[in-house]
Amino acid sequence: MSNAIIPLLLDSLASAALIFFAAVGLTLVFSVLRVLNVAHGSLYSIGGYAAASACLFIASRQLNSYLSFAALLFSAVFVAAIFGPLIERSLVRWTYGKSEAVQILITFGLFLILEDLQRLVFGVQSLYEDAPMRLLGTSSIGGVVYLNYQILLVGMAVLVVVGLRLLINHTRLGRLITAVVTDREMAQSIGIDTNRIFVLAFSLGVFLAALGGALSTPTSGIAPGLGADTMVLAFAVAAIGGLGQIEGAAVASLIVGLARVLAIYLAPSLDAVAPYAAMLVVLLIRPYGLFGSVTARRI
Amino acid sequence: MAFKNISLAFARCLSSLQPRFRLNWELPRANLRVVVDGLAGALAICVVAATPVAAQDKPGSVGLGIFTFTSGPAAAYGMPGKNAADLMIDEINAKGGIGGVPVTATFVDEAQGAQGVIAEYRRLAGDAKNQVMVAALSSATCLALAPIAEQLEVPTVGWNCDTHQLLMDGKSKYVFRPNGNTVPEFIAYAIYLLDRKPDVKTVAIINPDYAFGHDAAKIFTAALKALKPDVEIVAELYPKLGSPNYQTEISRLTTARPDVVFSNLWGADLENFVRQATPRALFTSSQVVLALGETVLQRVPLPDGVIVGVLGDGWWMSPDAKVNPETVKFAEAYKSRFGEYPVFPSIKMANALIYVKAAYEGAMQKNGGKWPTRAELAAAMKGSKVATLTGITQTRADNDGLVDQIVGVTMKTSAQPFPVIGDMVRYKGDSLMPQAGQDPLAWISTLKPEFAKSLPKPGSYKIGER
Repeated sequence: MSNAIIPLLLDSLASAALIFFAAVGLTLVFSVLRVLNVAHGSLYSIGGYAAASACLFIASRQLNSYLSFAALLFSAVFVAAIFGPLIERSLVRWTYGKSEAVQILITFGLFLILEDLQRLVFGVQSLYEDAPMRLLGTSSIGGVVYLNYQILLVGMAVLVVVGLRLLINHTRLGRLITAVVTDREMAQSIGIDTNRIFVLAFSLGVFLAALGGALSTPTSGIAPGLGADTMVLAFAVAAIGGLGQIEGAAVASLIVGLARVLAIYLAPSLDAVAPYAAMLVVLLIRPYGLFGSVTARRI
Repeated sequence: MAFKNISLAFARCLSSLQPRFRLNWELPRANLRVVVDGLAGALAICVVAATPVAAQDKPGSVGLGIFTFTSGPAAAYGMPGKNAADLMIDEINAKGGIGGVPVTATFVDEAQGAQGVIAEYRRLAGDAKNQVMVAALSSATCLALAPIAEQLEVPTVGWNCDTHQLLMDGKSKYVFRPNGNTVPEFIAYAIYLLDRKPDVKTVAIINPDYAFGHDAAKIFTAALKALKPDVEIVAELYPKLGSPNYQTEISRLTTARPDVVFSNLWGADLENFVRQATPRALFTSSQVVLALGETVLQRVPLPDGVIVGVLGDGWWMSPDAKVNPETVKFAEAYKSRFGEYPVFPSIKMANALIYVKAAYEGAMQKNGGKWPTRAELAAAMKGSKVATLTGITQTRADNDGLVDQIVGVTMKTSAQPFPVIGDMVRYKGDSLMPQAGQDPLAWISTLKPEFAKSLPKPGSYKIGER
């Protein structure tokens, strides 16, 4: 087993990176809008479909393969630009201040619509385009061949954590978001256009979901049903980290990634339950998640 | 005719009862469902039992309920089956249908889960027009539908249904499987592997986490241990069905350093696994066995030397298939309609429909040309021997099928732009099956290396050598 320690750690990091991309958008949207977006998983898979379609287009036109990296990013921007404002203005805004049950019902309805929409547009067969993965090649580490793309994903996840921290703490938009998160009514009273902040924050959440889907496509492909699986995992990560906590999502992704990988290496039959067992343990010790805190409920 | 119409209307009313009760009566739901299910079942039996008297007249069309996956990751396996059904039904109808009656099909998506599939089965069975069900793809669906088929006395042909548990009690009257099952299918791989790689010491397994994956692992392992007791299983992984990502599993398999990696992943799962494992050198570090590998040959560039097969004899390019003009015609028609050649699930479906047609013809021959009842159809299936597109399917007394098993390795040829199967062997169906009623694992444990030596060798299955 000693020869498996390096692969085990590397696999945990690679797995955590993918899990983080699935969860970070969900937790960001919750932190600003206080809305649990059940349709988050669908936006993740739409990002995947958009990226796969763009990469397949590049391949079919025999364009420079390196354009597929740009395609991954721009497909996420495209999905966020279309779906972010559309969903927030048409559906999500009606749920602000409503009970969690209403939010979940509305976003669950949206999830069902988006899942069927994907089947209508992309069909039921899987889509693959692995040009970005092939272009980067492989490296042998600890006797195991890894895709350099997996290592790139770890770097991208770190970049997103740092980027979000910089955005929130060091930009005007970030300060406006912080103001709205801290006290929505006070922010409104001093002239902050909260509607605009909500649209921007929701679109940023959609972008992160779509980016996660897009970045996972070269290694995993995309098929119907991915949205539901992603959603459940994203909720587990958000719960472990503390709803609304970006650093919490990063640490929780590492915990879930490590739990899954340990299960596969040591007790494969526990693979499916490992993330949720980790969630159970964390919530028993800290009911508000690792980085969450008790908030007073306004009456 | 009037009685038939009344029966039909009554059956339709019954099938609409259940959802209504389910929707509206929330509190006493558990008790109510038992009552409603019981009443609906009992009354449906009365309707179905009464119907055959009138069903001797030829109907306007022969209805088939066809169960397969048309959505979700399993659709990668289920859709080729549906495509083949569409094509084969068109071909049958172009030749005048069955006994002059055109065939129509109602497709049911197995992705909706057991409860939905059972409700659909009951609804279709309530319509006397649907005399036969072609159900199903998933072993889990087949196991769920089998008792209902017996209860409603509807001939049900498992077009895929691999699990050996389906007909183990030997008491089935209405459920038939004109295919092999997990026992011959996975013993065949163990024998082929040992013939090709006799020095194998360590094996790792990666199968889907449900009955088919676990059963296959048990049978393959039991056969290996019986034929070569020093083989060690160094890793057993069962990822969830529909997993998109196998990177960690691939690392785990690599670190186990097995001589052989065995898998019966299928559908999109198999495509994903192959695409992810190929660049990570798993196919070069170990001998890989992909039990359902033929289904991805046209989609994924599998390297040479991977052991693959078709869980039966259903390969459209096998020596037997190549000399059968019907098969060649079917394969070309399939290619021109769907853009790729049929994979073995397509052939299994086509063969199942040929089996149904043969049952109708056999039953009508026996009863003097009259339109057969469901009971007469079931009787015609029992013990039948039917020539299919790729060989012969023989139905035993326990309704299980005897079908030859083809195994080989991937290789490139100039004839096709994708890998094909070479160095093939074709094991006789009955040589790898325990007797009816015999415990399969107990039977496998009695196998000796001499048994494997008595069977044909890799490379022995060629044109003109059967």
